[in-house]
Order: sequence, then structure tokens, then C-alpha cells
Amino acid sequence: MRTVGQIVALVRKDLLLEWRGRTRGLSVVLFGVVTLLLFSFAVGPDTAALQTGAAGFLVLALLLSSTLALSESFRLEHENHALEGLLLAPVEPVALYYGKALSNTLFLLLLAPILTPVAVVLYAVEISLLDLAEVIGLWGLAAAGLSAPGTLFAAMTSRLRSQDVLLPLLLFPLVVPVMLGSVKAIDLVLTGDPMQQLGSWTMLLAGFDVIYWSLCGVLFTYVVEEGV
Amino acid sequence: MGEAGPAIHCESLGRRFGRRWVLAHVDLTVERAESLLLAGANGSGKTTLLRVLAGLSRPSAGSVRILGSDPHSERLTCRRSLSMVSHRAYLYDGLTAIEMLRVWARLCERSISDAELDGLLEEVALIDHRDLAVGGFSSGMRKRLTFLRTRIENPDILLLDEPLAALDTAGMDLVEAWIEREVARGTTVVVASHAIPRMSRICKRALLLEDGQIAWEGPAAGLPAQLERQG
Repeated sequence: MRTVGQIVALVRKDLLLEWRGRTRGLSVVLFGVVTLLLFSFAVGPDTAALQTGAAGFLVLALLLSSTLALSESFRLEHENHALEGLLLAPVEPVALYYGKALSNTLFLLLLAPILTPVAVVLYAVEISLLDLAEVIGLWGLAAAGLSAPGTLFAAMTSRLRSQDVLLPLLLFPLVVPVMLGSVKAIDLVLTGDPMQQLGSWTMLLAGFDVIYWSLCGVLFTYVVEEGV
Repeated sequence: MGEAGPAIHCESLGRRFGRRWVLAHVDLTVERAESLLLAGANGSGKTTLLRVLAGLSRPSAGSVRILGSDPHSERLTCRRSLSMVSHRAYLYDGLTAIEMLRVWARLCERSISDAELDGLLEEVALIDHRDLAVGGFSSGMRKRLTFLRTRIENPDILLLDEPLAALDTAGMDLVEAWIEREVARGTTVVVASHAIPRMSRICKRALLLEDGQIAWEGPAAGLPAQLERQG
């Protein structure tokens, strides 16, 4: 219970700082919208092709926006050496990790209600409100799958000058299963699921989330111990 | 954590960065409720020693025990009994002073009301800045706020790295009085400072570091004379 209380305190602190700053939020949202726009320009006025690729474009927009968001997430912790201050407190590194990973997941989750309607309009996808809610739910699973290793790698690279290059290099290969699972699952929601495969893809996505969240929590201790 | 034994015990402690040994062969015992002044020129290893004691840096050689526990393998046990104020502020510029205190209180699992936190801010003359973002604070104001963290943590061992740096005269008097109170109530205090005349009045024992090694050890009152002898 002690750790849970500390995680909640850390998430509240991160969200408050995010709200006060807002620049990261705004830039990540704009980046996501621009990415979606670029995909529509690249495909051209072919509505069928846009609809077919809509799920992939949406998940790629999330992936690209997430690297921007994740690389920034530890910047505040290094200003005034705040992370060192957290490590001096009677807090387990695992609480620091889950606090930050949860904040990142919530932040990426907040992109869904903005980017999904933009994608629906840009790619001329016809979906019901229920399907939209389902896409946002799957987006949440994808965001969790990206945030878990993303937070770990962001912590590892946060003090390096080459963080912007290293973070995607480390993150992208590892999250391929999450990408595949989320693209397939969202595509089934958008284009129909005659073979009832949505459940399997969702389970795969959730399974990888569980693996990432468990493993990265353990590894984070080694990352912060000598990294401050 | 046992009641017997020293507060801090180091044996052949060493810390190196690359090939350079910043601390070497440091044997140090600080008894419970003792106050120790660490002196030495810039780069003599004072900050590194405090960071190793705080568990922020792993020793490259030797061992450290804090109240009988290893700061790395028994991390939480040590964190609960130790607090550190360094020249690093550990503050979030986007939070206000009161929000910063609330975060620390929650992380330390202390249920402290806002009225009590206001009382703490009053003590360090920051009550008028209660709802202002820390980002707009001067270095001295940040330092005062950082001291409140240790008030919240209420530790058995207090590690202070240049506690008077960046403070005005009133701030120095405030911190000096606060350290005296901590010493009087039985907190083990280790202070690294260049303000020798002020700190040697408060601390009982002193230790002079030179190139990462203990060059002299004795009563704090004798430190100014020792420094004079060394030129």
C-alpha cells in the first residue's frame, strides 16, 4: 500500500507539471496531427487506400509521437537534479518507474480522443461511436505497451546528448509485437471482423503489456542506481 | 535496525571516476548523535564522501554501513533514517512551494496538514511565496525550501553539503540555529563546509580531507588552527 501511495503521488506530480507546462502536450499533439496529415498526402486522394491503411497510419502516428513524449519525460527530472531527490527519499525505484510509466501512458492515452477523430476525418473512415470507443481502448493498450519499455529506455538515455537518436533505435525493434497487435486489432475494428479475430489480437497486445510492465519495472532499479 | 553500533561506519572506503581515485582508504566512524565537520579544499572528496554515505554513489572499494545497514542492499532502511541537503536543489520549477512540500510529505508517507506545512514555510520566511512557482525563486530561497525536506523526513542522520552556500546572513543564521537544534536533539550530523568558523562552533569533531584521504582528524575547535598551520 505504501508503494501504491507513492506511485499515486508521483503520477499526480507529473500530471500537475504537465498541465503547468503544456508545451510538451501541445507539441506532441501537433506532431501527431502533422504525421496523420503527411500520411494522407503521401497516399493521395485514393479513399480506399486511405481506409485500408488507416489503422497503420494511426498507430504509426502514436509511435512517432510517443518517442517525442517519452524523450521529454525525464527532462524535468534532471532539471535541478530532481530525480536524485526522489532517489534520496524512502521510495523504491520500482515506484519511481511505475509512477513515470503510468504518467507516460496517461499522457499518450490523452492523444487518442484527439488523433482518432482526426484520422477518421482524414481517411474517410466510417465508424460508430462504439467502434470509436473500442479504438480508444486499443490505443490505451498500445500506449501502455509503448510506455513501459519507452520509460525504461528514456531513463537510460536521458543524460545522453544523442537521446533523440538512441531512444527510437532501442525502442522501435522491441515494440514490434505491440505495433503488429495494435495495427491488426484497430484495423479489425475499422474494417470489420468477419473471422472474430479481434479477441486474439487484443489478448496478444495485453499479454505483451504484462510482460513489458513486469520486466521493465525490475530492470529500472539497475538503470537509476548509478545513473543519477 | 539495531540500536547499538555507530551511525556511520566506513572501512577502506574508496571511490574512483575512471582512473582517478576521488576517495581512497577512508576509515571513518561517526557515533550516534555525534556532529562531524568535513573540511578540505575544492576537489578534496567531501561531496563524493557524502554521496557515497547517502547511497547515491556506489563505493569502488571498501564498505559503508549506515546504522548497521548497507545503503545499497538495504536501500529503504537507510533512506528512512537518512536525509541529505546538497547544493543541488531537488526541486521542480513548475510546482509551487506548498506543492513541493506536499510531494515530499506524500513520498515520505507523512500525513502533514497544510497548516503544518504553512508553519514550516513560516519558519524559513517563505510563507509569502507559498503559492508561487519554485522556478521564480532565488538560489537562497530554493535552499531554504530544500531544508524543509529534512524537516519532513525527520531523519536520524543528516548529511549537509555546503549548507550555508547561497544564503544571505539571515538565512545563514537560520540554518546555523537549525543545525544546532538538530545536534541538540541527538541527530547525527555530518556537514561538509568551507564556513569553518561558523561550523566548527556547532560540530564536535572535524575531519580534513586532502586528495580524497583523511589528512587530519580531531576536535572541531582545533580545525582553524590546523588549517592555519597548513597555510
